[in-house]
Amino acid sequence: MNRDIILKSKELFAAGVHTELRAQINKSQGVSIISGNLTGNASSEVSGLSARVYKNGVYGFSSMAECTYEAARAVLEAATDNAVFMDSRVRKGTDMFPSQKSGFVERYTSTDTPSQKRYIDFARSLDSYITEKYPSLSGRCVMVRADSMEKMLVTSDGCDGYTSMPRSYVYISMTGETSNGTPVELMTPIGGFGTFDTVFTSPEALYEKIDRIYEKIRQKQEGIYPEAGLKTCILGGELAGMLAHEAVGHTVEADLVLGGSVAAHNLGREVASPIVSMVDFAHTFRGEAVPLPVYVDDEGVEAIDAPLITNGILTGYMNNRETAHRFGMTPTGNARAYRFSDEPLIRMRNTAILPGTSKLEDMIASIDDGYYFVDTNNGQADTTGEFMFGICMGYEIKNGKLGRALLDTTISGVAFEMLKTVDMLSDTMTWASSGFCGKKQPMPVGLGGPAVKCKVTVGGR
Amino acid sequence: MKEKLFNLTENLLSQLKEGGADVAYCTARMSETLEFNVDGGTFSLLRTLFDRGLSMTAIKEGKKGSVGTNSFDSDTVETTVANCLALSDSSEADSAWEIAPGMGEKCFERGAVIPDKDRLFDRTQELLADISARYPLIVMEQMIVTHTKSESVYRNTNGSVFNTVSGYYSVELMFSGHEGEESSSFFSSGVLTDNLDTPFIELGSIARDLEDTEKQIRTVPCEGKYVGTMLLSPGCLSSFIDSIADNFASDRPLLDGTSIWKDKLGEKVADERITISLMPKSDKVVCGENYTGEGFLSENFDFIRDGRLESFFASCYISNKTGVPRAKNTSGNVIMKAGEKSLEDIIKNIDRGILVGRFSGGEPGINGDFSGVAKNSFLIEGGKIVGAASETMISGNLADMLLDLVDISCETVSDGVSILPYAAFNGITISGK
Repeated sequence: MNRDIILKSKELFAAGVHTELRAQINKSQGVSIISGNLTGNASSEVSGLSARVYKNGVYGFSSMAECTYEAARAVLEAATDNAVFMDSRVRKGTDMFPSQKSGFVERYTSTDTPSQKRYIDFARSLDSYITEKYPSLSGRCVMVRADSMEKMLVTSDGCDGYTSMPRSYVYISMTGETSNGTPVELMTPIGGFGTFDTVFTSPEALYEKIDRIYEKIRQKQEGIYPEAGLKTCILGGELAGMLAHEAVGHTVEADLVLGGSVAAHNLGREVASPIVSMVDFAHTFRGEAVPLPVYVDDEGVEAIDAPLITNGILTGYMNNRETAHRFGMTPTGNARAYRFSDEPLIRMRNTAILPGTSKLEDMIASIDDGYYFVDTNNGQADTTGEFMFGICMGYEIKNGKLGRALLDTTISGVAFEMLKTVDMLSDTMTWASSGFCGKKQPMPVGLGGPAVKCKVTVGGR
Repeated sequence: MKEKLFNLTENLLSQLKEGGADVAYCTARMSETLEFNVDGGTFSLLRTLFDRGLSMTAIKEGKKGSVGTNSFDSDTVETTVANCLALSDSSEADSAWEIAPGMGEKCFERGAVIPDKDRLFDRTQELLADISARYPLIVMEQMIVTHTKSESVYRNTNGSVFNTVSGYYSVELMFSGHEGEESSSFFSSGVLTDNLDTPFIELGSIARDLEDTEKQIRTVPCEGKYVGTMLLSPGCLSSFIDSIADNFASDRPLLDGTSIWKDKLGEKVADERITISLMPKSDKVVCGENYTGEGFLSENFDFIRDGRLESFFASCYISNKTGVPRAKNTSGNVIMKAGEKSLEDIIKNIDRGILVGRFSGGEPGINGDFSGVAKNSFLIEGGKIVGAASETMISGNLADMLLDLVDISCETVSDGVSILPYAAFNGITISGK
């Protein structure tokens, strides 16, 4: 990326309006092996420039698939024209939002990728291991995925920055059959922040994790359907992260608050048990990097943590500069864009329920009749806070002990009601980061939490 | 633009052939998007995007590689061709990979290629005013109204050259109903259209969706657990049909043999009143698919006809691997044959059940089991809607429900992508909190 062109293009900024200019490269590589067949072998690279101009309460935006000085001039002119058109038709007349700290934030991690053959050989090694060790499986799939974003941002008011976010994952999927021939499946992602070679040292290092996935499939083959209804349950850390992101996080994004989310009426109110606190972390948790660190957002705001729930009280929203001004809050660096041609939206970064003090064993021992839900394959939530999570791995709890595995089910509840039932949180923390959040644009996000003991509605059958 | 795309693709295929590709295909595309955004009920943003894309696939000694970029400069093109060939070299030989036969030179032009920016703004402003006047309890979370114009050239080494020019308008709304601190679940509605002749409020199911959402602010609980009737709205039916296609008839379950329909081609899989087709060539579909990603000219086909499985959604590769016929398009333009009864009459005949506007569920199991929350839904008792449902879960089996059809409505919703009726199915477990 030619950073000098972007820096020089600042001289093209118009006076009297807020302007952002961003150059960006997105790379992705993928390999898929389904039941031994190499069905996917592809890579892509997409790059370009975009400009956004704010005038009297409306934005103009434009993008081009080029990273030249001429392209910068063209998108700046088009974005300005668009802002002028909107201002002339809408006439909002809103004030300019407050100035932000200036500076240059440089947090670049290499986005260089190994050859595609490396991905294929790695996936083939894992597939061979699964085939040879577990021939009774009725289906298997190994996928390797790597993606990255590299951004150079300059602003008329705020921080400039040069940052990157590479991620690499292996997805292992296995299919078995129950005694009556019903297929059961489990897919597990492994990986995290960094280029492929920094995340994965060798296929052999994943064998133990593959063995654990097979053990879960074997348990599911003898699984039972859970009983439907409101039950006392433990949500594993990954599910707690899903709860933090889907059921609470989206409702406290300030644009959705303005769109009528349940959080609009609950700021400063008790929305959870006093032992529950929740934060959207920018880049660091207890001295260590979170899964997908963000140091500066795409509006030039230096990223800081956004406390959302503190000791059960809803204390804040996630904002962009405009909504922070409107709500009288401090912007925390949540405005993020996925591709060069995308405008920044209010997005989560690394959203988590904070751990407590209990031991998981004690939490299980405290339940006479309930469930321990471990893995999820999807989750959705409403702006009312009503949520639904697909459960693809879990166990019954009987008389304080783990029992049989569960077949796939769903759980549901209303976040601000369900969080009030939380009475134990484990002292451990589980993070996940393999997915994309969908909100007009996709976005890589991290999510996490401890094991959570609470009451939720179980779908059963 | 056309000449540039023709020359670029011709040059690309030459480079791939010179680099050793046995067969290859590529697509070069340029597009312009104009987009108005409304957030929290007021205009917030106007975007204009000038984009382009280049994708290419080479098969060399049975080994396939695919790459994509959005740069047309000669250095990047040269590097991308080299990457594509390197990907092929690093791949594994599989005789099932092939490209479409040569079909000559064809031109396709569909839709409204030139946008009317001022009229598009006016129609958008009119929609906001219509909603405000007719549905005062609605809060518009977001509205995105776009015009997209694109031109592309697909070319393969067997002699196909397809030039496509298209343009269409898209309207997408996300909203919820509010009264004091009470609110409905959020809901979305949308359409594609190739003209601005009609007020947006009259298109698709926008008006009905807004009306229903206002009625969902206050809810009634679902009592207990019972087996009853699930009446799916056209929008929700679409998501169920997608799940049925993914679970039983798509590439992955066919290749790994987990599809429970893998041996059922030509056999009964649904009630004989069910006919579901994929029809990108319908004149009700806006800018439907002209050719598949693999380079085959698109034709309409029946997925299920009179209850019998007529086609899978198999790609050419999966067809070669498994022996099932290739699907004749990859469009997603689903059209389901309407029934004879009105929606009102169908509801009158339901003793106990639920009209589902949106299903928020986990990924259905590969055996077809599904469970999840019925969102934007109404409870039905004694042939009448008794109120909007709160915290109601539904579960059943995708394959079983197709065989347990109650009725299909004569009313349909056409949104430029699909044409679907309401459809009611028995044997669904419905449970409250």
